[in-house]
Amino acid sequence: MLKPLSKERWNYTTAAHLLNRAGFGGTPKEIEHLVNLGPDKAVSYLVDYENIPGHSPNPEWAKPDPSRLDRFMEARKADPQKRQELLREEQRTQRQRIVELKHWWLNRMAKGSRPLQEKMTLFWHGHFATSAEKVRDAYLMWKQNDLFRQHAVGNWSKMLVAVAKDPAMLIWLDQAQSRKEHPNENFAREVMELFTLGEGHYTEKDITEAARALTGWTYDRLNQQFEERPRFHDDGTKTVLGRTGNLTGEDVLEQIVAQPQAARFITTKLWNFFASETPSDELVTALADAFRKSGNNFKPLLAAMFHSEEFYANSVIRNQVKSPVQWLVGTVRVLERELPPPLVCFGLTRNLGQDLFQPPNVKGWDGGLSWITTNNLLARYNEAAVLVQGDLSMAKGVNLNLGNGGAGAGKVIAERLQNLKLRPVDIARILSEDEQKDKQKLLAALEKRLLQAKLRGKQQETLKQYLDSQPGLDDAVILNTVRLMMSTPEYQLT
Amino acid sequence: MKNDISLKTRREFLRTTMLGGALSWTVPAFLANTFSSLQASAADSATQVVTGKDSTILVILQMAGGNDGLNTVVPFTNDYYRKARPKIGVAAKEVLKLNDQVGLHPSLTGFKELYDSGSLAVIQGIGYPNPNRSHFRSTEIWQTASDSEQFERYGWLGRYFDNACAGSDPTVGVNIGRQMPQAFAARHPIGVSLENPESYRFISSEKGKRDEMSSSEESYRKLNQPEDEILMAGGEGNSGTSIGSIAGASKHTGSALDFLERTAMDAQVSSDKIRAISSRVETKASYPQSQLGTSLKMVAKLIGGGLPTRVFYVSQGGFDTHTNQAAAHPRLLRDLGDSVKAFTDDMKAQGNMQRVVLMTFSEFGRRVAENANSGTDHGAAAPMFVIGSKVKAGLLGKYPSLAPTDLLNGDMKYNVDFRSVYAGLLEGWLKTSSTPILGRKFEPLMCV
Repeated sequence: MLKPLSKERWNYTTAAHLLNRAGFGGTPKEIEHLVNLGPDKAVSYLVDYENIPGHSPNPEWAKPDPSRLDRFMEARKADPQKRQELLREEQRTQRQRIVELKHWWLNRMAKGSRPLQEKMTLFWHGHFATSAEKVRDAYLMWKQNDLFRQHAVGNWSKMLVAVAKDPAMLIWLDQAQSRKEHPNENFAREVMELFTLGEGHYTEKDITEAARALTGWTYDRLNQQFEERPRFHDDGTKTVLGRTGNLTGEDVLEQIVAQPQAARFITTKLWNFFASETPSDELVTALADAFRKSGNNFKPLLAAMFHSEEFYANSVIRNQVKSPVQWLVGTVRVLERELPPPLVCFGLTRNLGQDLFQPPNVKGWDGGLSWITTNNLLARYNEAAVLVQGDLSMAKGVNLNLGNGGAGAGKVIAERLQNLKLRPVDIARILSEDEQKDKQKLLAALEKRLLQAKLRGKQQETLKQYLDSQPGLDDAVILNTVRLMMSTPEYQLT
Repeated sequence: MKNDISLKTRREFLRTTMLGGALSWTVPAFLANTFSSLQASAADSATQVVTGKDSTILVILQMAGGNDGLNTVVPFTNDYYRKARPKIGVAAKEVLKLNDQVGLHPSLTGFKELYDSGSLAVIQGIGYPNPNRSHFRSTEIWQTASDSEQFERYGWLGRYFDNACAGSDPTVGVNIGRQMPQAFAARHPIGVSLENPESYRFISSEKGKRDEMSSSEESYRKLNQPEDEILMAGGEGNSGTSIGSIAGASKHTGSALDFLERTAMDAQVSSDKIRAISSRVETKASYPQSQLGTSLKMVAKLIGGGLPTRVFYVSQGGFDTHTNQAAAHPRLLRDLGDSVKAFTDDMKAQGNMQRVVLMTFSEFGRRVAENANSGTDHGAAAPMFVIGSKVKAGLLGKYPSLAPTDLLNGDMKYNVDFRSVYAGLLEGWLKTSSTPILGRKFEPLMCV
């Protein structure tokens, strides 16, 4: 188990697979670069990203806002009509910032220099799925995202403690309201059920006792940060997962991570995310052992995964459905185009069923085959025209159903979309002059770039026929060919 | 005679699609080709043969935002009601009386007619234990039929599809709107979501050619046709040299590609069917020019055209009436009553009324007491409406007490768990066992 990949199997296909899964894919040039590095250096390039300079400044509002609480107080004191107005204004600002935040992050994925760091950040966002719908504070959502990024390939215990003390999480799972007189069990339950152990590996008693131990971890609204309040803390004796004493939150999380099941749980989830949904029991045992031996650190585990023969099995390669984010970011990368503006990205991803910072619930996105329904698939095919031809009429059809109170905002957004312009793909960037003139070369180059594999014979024939039916091989025809190749079941896989 | 052959072919095709879940799926190309050429003619008669005219249909109508049940079904003689609603209460002389104590909001004339003709049930006092007052969370609870403290991945209708509709046509569930409701989320996602038939399709980007079949649309169709022969896997050698063919590398039964190919075919088939029906079927009733009216009109067309759908889902927004409720609420209820009345008129004209039941729900009711802005804030228990010629018409359940000592944090207490209503509809109307779908046994409220 976890045998290193033999050097003979290192080639364009396997290098592309690594870049697709550990990151968001890349251009033929980037893939060739990894091929030339060889497997060891290629994995190291992705995993040891600290050596690569980071990227992009933070949103300018990504800092505590000391006047926020004052504004709420002011609103509370105002007369009802004024209050309504002030609160609505605040909501508008936050909503606008969340749209910016989505774009800021997508741009890091699309253009950033540390693909694995962003990929892991995406993994953690899906794992600790927290929604702005409840948190309602863009700064706190950014802060949590930044936390995921800092701990992306770090230590499991440290990550858990940091997440438990994260303001957005404290609000999201009601830990902020937990008091020794009436402990709130929401976080205590989800941390065991969804974040670390899985159902069946703890008792109800473990939850109530853990909730007691976690009391006192609260949120300071004035400074928008975690605060430990000893007078809220229950300092009686508790027993959690076999450990007894005047346990604190840290003690509980440490005890959880010490469970053998904890290693199996998180490594299985990582394998599902990066490789396949059906790891054998043997493989899970090997992954969990490797993880524990490394002191519950993610970086060595990921390196071992990305080196392994199992990761490059034929049943793994090109057998994963792209998530909407992977689809969008990967497309931007392989087409070497800029990311569309925030509103367009918001619409595109939401329409495909993955709205960043707004997961459907605390369980996150289901992923896998559930990304695909008949209408999502048609939507992907139509949204391809936005990214390839810059055809925003397709984006206008996308979902902007913002739920309650969002109807007005949706209208504003629709109006603003009217005024946007989007450039098509720059053909000269992705195709040589030769490839632009010769149909066979054109199709081969696009297959290599978009799919890193070949289409079925019939599909190749269809595209050939399409090209033959056109009066010439101009830019419009080439762009349409790109879109058609993206409008296939094959393009939805990675 | 020629038509008979097409019908048979088409039926075979649909059967293949239905079995697709279980079998290794390859559609002979001639069938797929026949299919697209048939879309205009055969979509009409054939689907009706396939589905039969006898299966029941459930229409779910979501009133998003939290409808004020108290001003919808008004306890007009109740003193506590008068006291709690000095500004926005509905006057006793205006209500459309259902009995001596309870009446409908005056805007609900459409519902009153349905009530009088024995086609409308009002189920009073619906809710669930430990009510949540967040739109987001409470909607989720209704959509997934979960307990208040429990997070459920799949929707209650999705679990119905999983449990009772395996291998069905993808149009077994149809949502009118852009985003699939969480109620449809399923282990094996099925169902179609469309705002209008024109957007539920591959839209060609060749300007000026959007109406006729453009060459890129034709290419899209061919690109999305599964291979007509079983492909032998290229084997382990594939990734060893240059770049392997996708078909060789990952095409095997149960693979993601297999699933995608089936879904792509389903998308094409259902898109063609829906568009054919929508351009062919006429509706006779006059609907309000609202989003809800338009949605229900679409549903009526799809039912009339014989789409094999068991569950339709439509929604109406705007019920979050925190301020100046007297302006917005009557308008919303007028739209609701008139749209649903038009829909039932249409069903009658089509001869489909006996097949259809419509259920309304909202994530919560409002507080009993009005607020300082002549509006109402998020509350708890509220009534639901169940409409159809086969429903047990009348007032079901008991109106919750409005006596201040009987309220829970200022809200009415529920008498009937909403999951009992779901159970009643699943058992009594969709004729399926409710326990595996709702996770445990809820005493079904048999309103049909």
